Amino acid sequence: MLRWSIGLAGALALVGPLSAVAKPIAFADGTTVMVEDGAGTMTEEQIFYAPRYDVSVGGGHIELDSDETTKVRRINYARLNYLVHRWNLDDAQANVFAWGGLGSATGNTFSGTLLAENAGAQADYETRRVYASLKTDWQGSQAFSHRIDTLQLGLAPYKHDYDSLATWFLVQARQYTGGIHRGVESALLLRLFKGGAWVEAGITNGGKLQAMAMFNF
Amino acid sequence: MKLISRVLISLMIMATAPVQAATIEMNVNGLVCAFCAQGIEKQLRKFPATADVVVSLEQKLVAVALKDGQDIPDAELLRALTNAGYTVRAIQRTETPIADLRERAKQIKP
Repeated sequence: MLRWSIGLAGALALVGPLSAVAKPIAFADGTTVMVEDGAGTMTEEQIFYAPRYDVSVGGGHIELDSDETTKVRRINYARLNYLVHRWNLDDAQANVFAWGGLGSATGNTFSGTLLAENAGAQADYETRRVYASLKTDWQGSQAFSHRIDTLQLGLAPYKHDYDSLATWFLVQARQYTGGIHRGVESALLLRLFKGGAWVEAGITNGGKLQAMAMFNF
Repeated sequence: MKLISRVLISLMIMATAPVQAATIEMNVNGLVCAFCAQGIEKQLRKFPATADVVVSLEQKLVAVALKDGQDIPDAELLRALTNAGYTVRAIQRTETPIADLRERAKQIKP
């Protein structure tokens, strides 16, 4: 509920749904706050600070709620994100990110609190009209192992500029491992951003709402 | 006496003549996302010599208006843009007022 309130307030205040490519590092000396509701099976909140343009540190909370069983995971983590490489092209930008971290996990299929590990990577390519990203994010402990793979392809109906509203239409395919969701979950999304605010919302093939909000400052 | 008059007149002219603020225009690669390009403005506004900043994705332009009589060395500009995560292709100093660049950016929007 809190996540939705924050996301909705941000969207209304800043007139922008989520943006073109969500990156774990915004810019040097920048802070990124992100909240996401992944169609009921995954909810996540993150906050990162980037002392440099290629590194950010911070933490987050992710909750995985299986729609196959009653399985639930709640993980708090600290994480370091690293920009492995960036290509600044004439009319495009491409990036490869990697991250890793440690945290604690609780759940309803094991007792107590376990040490949790996290690792992932993202590759993206973006012009002002097209966007593609592939992300993999793994959460594990001695009691579970879950990976979330997400592919997004986006088209912008017009080129935005620095001070104008950016609008993107996206298709997404997402796969969960470890008994969180059976098969590939697809979604159609609308993403908007302006200034330091980004909001994104859409609907999955299962008829569920997916939403995200992100703020850079 | 004539010399003193000339000096005084010259000083008065210098004091009243408008000083044309210099502008630094940079051609930058990778400028495709306004959400991500905020870091450029944030870095450039940290310079004490910066009076204003204009960013145009369409023109791949980042422009800095300098305060009167001040400058930012090219090496520091390059470092700032690199630290923001972008690649500078060219830097040139012009007398174009920053307001004109801002207006031009609005006019040639896609």
